[in-house]
Amino acid sequence: MKAGCSQLQPVVLILIFNLCFYGSFQLTGPQVCELCGGSVLNGSEVGKFCASSAGRINGRCCFQNNNTYGPERIIGLDLSNCSLTHVEDLQEASKALMIDLSLNPLVNISDAVFQGFIELNHMILPQEIFCPGGNTSWEKVEVNEGNRICQGQKDVCNQTGQLSIECPENSLCGPYGPGFFECSCAENYHGYKCLREGEFPALQVFGPLGASTVVLSFLLWFTQRRKVKPL
Amino acid sequence: MPPLHCGYLSQYTHHHLVAFLLTFFSYVLLHASRKTFSNVKVSISAQWTPSPQNGSAPPYSPGETWEDNHLFADEKQATLFLGALDSIFLFSYAVGLYLSGVIGDRVNLRYVLCFGLCGSAAVEFVFGTLTEWLKIYNIYLYCVLWVLNGLLQSAVWPCVVAVMGNWFGKTGRGFVFGLWSACASVGNILGAFLASSVLKYGYEYAFLVTSVVQFAGGVVVFFGLLTSPKEVGLSLESETGLSPVETDTDSHRPLMSDEEDEVEVYGTRYDSVQQPEEPVDEPPRAIGFCQAFCLPGVLPYSLAYACLKLVNYSFFFWLPFYLSNNYGWKEAEADRLSVWYDVGGIIGGTVQGLVSDFMGKRAPVLAISLALAMGALVGYSRSPNDQVINAVLLAVTGFFIGGPSNMISSAISADLGRQEALRGSQEALATVTGIVDGTGSIGAAGGQYLVSLIESKLGWMRVFYFFIVMTGGSIVFITPLLIKEVRAMWRDRHALRRQL
Repeated sequence: MKAGCSQLQPVVLILIFNLCFYGSFQLTGPQVCELCGGSVLNGSEVGKFCASSAGRINGRCCFQNNNTYGPERIIGLDLSNCSLTHVEDLQEASKALMIDLSLNPLVNISDAVFQGFIELNHMILPQEIFCPGGNTSWEKVEVNEGNRICQGQKDVCNQTGQLSIECPENSLCGPYGPGFFECSCAENYHGYKCLREGEFPALQVFGPLGASTVVLSFLLWFTQRRKVKPL
Repeated sequence: MPPLHCGYLSQYTHHHLVAFLLTFFSYVLLHASRKTFSNVKVSISAQWTPSPQNGSAPPYSPGETWEDNHLFADEKQATLFLGALDSIFLFSYAVGLYLSGVIGDRVNLRYVLCFGLCGSAAVEFVFGTLTEWLKIYNIYLYCVLWVLNGLLQSAVWPCVVAVMGNWFGKTGRGFVFGLWSACASVGNILGAFLASSVLKYGYEYAFLVTSVVQFAGGVVVFFGLLTSPKEVGLSLESETGLSPVETDTDSHRPLMSDEEDEVEVYGTRYDSVQQPEEPVDEPPRAIGFCQAFCLPGVLPYSLAYACLKLVNYSFFFWLPFYLSNNYGWKEAEADRLSVWYDVGGIIGGTVQGLVSDFMGKRAPVLAISLALAMGALVGYSRSPNDQVINAVLLAVTGFFIGGPSNMISSAISADLGRQEALRGSQEALATVTGIVDGTGSIGAAGGQYLVSLIESKLGWMRVFYFFIVMTGGSIVFITPLLIKEVRAMWRDRHALRRQL
C-alpha cells in the first residue's frame, strides 16, 4: 500500500509542476523568442528551414506543433544580429534543431549552455566562437562569410578513438547535447544511481505473510493462551 | 502432548516446545534485522553520496540520477558514519539492557517482549524505508532513530531468556539453552538471505521486509506466548527440576555458586537438594538492580562476557571485511565463508552446554574452551590462503569462542537469575540477563572502535593478538569461580568415595 504511494507521489509532483510551468508558458510565451526584437526573416537559414518543415514563426522562434499532444516546441531559434554579448540560458529551446547566433558581438559561449540539446543539428555562430563540444562533436564544421557553421551533431557514446565513455553499472550512455552524454538507467533499472531493479512484489510478499500471521496467532492462542488464568 | 522419544526430553509438554520456538524465533527475527543493516551498508552509502568522479571528467548527467544526494561527499565518509551508527546502536543497546531487564521482571514479560519486537520493527521501518520514500536524509534523524532502536531491541533478549528460564529447569538447561542460543546465528543466516533476496528492489525494501516480518513475529508472540508454566497451571520445578537423568545430588545445586559465600553474604542456609518453588499464589517480588549486580557470580561472568562478546562481535562485524581485505576474496565469497563461524558457534554452544549439564559445572567447561580458543585464534591468524582450510579453522574458532559466548549469555544467565540466593525474590531472571548482556555489549561497543583503530595503526596480526589477550582476560575473570567449582567437585568426589 505504501509502495503505491511512493510511486504515486512523483507522478503528482510532475503533474503540479507541469500545470504551473505550462500555465505560465501559455500566458507569456517563451522568453527566448523575445531576446531581441523583430522576427525570423524569411530569407535566413532558420526562416528557410522553418518554411520547409511547415513551422510557425513567432518572434525569433520557429514553432512546430507535433499534432498529438502537448504544447508546441521550438524547432528553430534565430538570434542573429541581436547584439548579444553573452548567452546564458537557452533551455526553452532545448528541442531545437537549428540555432543561429551569427552577427552577435559574442566573446565565448560555455559548452554547458547547450547541454541537453539532443536534436541540435545545425548551428550558425560568429567566426570567433568555436562549435560547442569542439570540432570532434560535429560531422562538419566550416567557416563561411564570417560565420562558423556546425553541422551534424555526433553521438559521443559511439565514438571510437576518443576517450571511451563508460557509464556506471546498470546504465547506458546516450547523447545529451554537443560534447555531452547522459547515463540513463538500463531497461528494468530505475531510481537513484539506477540501483533498483524491477518492482517490489508487495502483494506476493505481504499477502502470505499477513495470512500466516493471522493463522498462526489464532492457532497459538487456541492451543496455548485460551485457558490462561489471570495471575 | 506430543510424544517425545528421548527420555531426556520426556519431561517437556507441547507448551515447552511452543515457548522454545517462540522465544527462539523472536530473537532470530531481531538478529535477522540487525544482519540486514550490516548487509545493506553498501547500498545505503551509495544512496547517500554523489557518484565518484574520476579526475577532470565531467559529472554524470542527468544530475537527479547521479549527483543529487549529498549527505556525504564520498562513500568512505558514509562508511565511517555507518560504523559510528553501529557503535551508537551497541551503546544504547547496552544501556537499554540494564533498564529493560529491570522492567521485564516487574511488567508482564509478554508485553515487554511484544513491545520490543513491534517497536523496533516500527523504528527500523522509519529508519530504512520511510526516510527513503520521503527522501529525508539527515544524520541526526538517523542517529536518534538508531538510539531508539537499540533501546527497543534491548527489551527482547532479557525477556526471551527469562521466559526460557521459566520453562526449562536447571537440569537440562545447558543443552536446551545451548541449542536455543543458536538463535543469533540462525538470525544472521536468515537476515543475510532476506536482505540478499530483496536488495535488488532497493535497500528500503530490505528494511521493509525484515521490519514487517519482525512486527508479525511480535503479533504472534502476543497471542501465543506463555511466559511461564504457571500461566497454565503447571508448576516450574515439578516439571523440569528433578530430572531422572542425573541422580547425583550435586546436580541440583545452582551450578555457579558456592556455599560459603552465600552463607556469609545472604545468611540463607544452603540445601543440597533444591526445594520446590515457592507457592504459586504468592506473587514474587522483583529484585533491585544493585541487588542483582551483587549476586554471586554476576559480576565475574559479566566482565568475562564483556571480553568475550568483544571478540565474538568483532568476528560478526569485521570477518567478511577481513577476508576480502586480507586474502583478496570476493565479497560474496567472504560472506559465505563467514557463515562457518556461526556454524561452529551453534555446535559449540550445544555440545559444551550438554557437557556442562553432565558435569554439573559450567566454569571448568568454559575455562577449557576459552584456553583452546586462544590456541584457535593463533592458528586462525596464521591460516594459509586457502578457503577450505580457512573455513575449517573458522569453524573451530567459532566452536571455542561462540560456544562459551552463547553459554554465558543464555544458560549461565538463567542459572544466575534462578540461583539459591534468590529464594525470597524470584523475579531476577530478566534483570540478571540484562546485566550480563549489557556489560557484554559495552565491551562489544568499545571493541568495535578498538579493532578499527588497531587495524589501521598496527595491522591485522595485532588485532588477533588483541583478541587473544581479551580471551585470556575472560579466563582471568572466571578464575575465582573456576577454583571454587573445582574445589567443590573435588570435595564431592571425596565425600562420595568416603560414603562408598
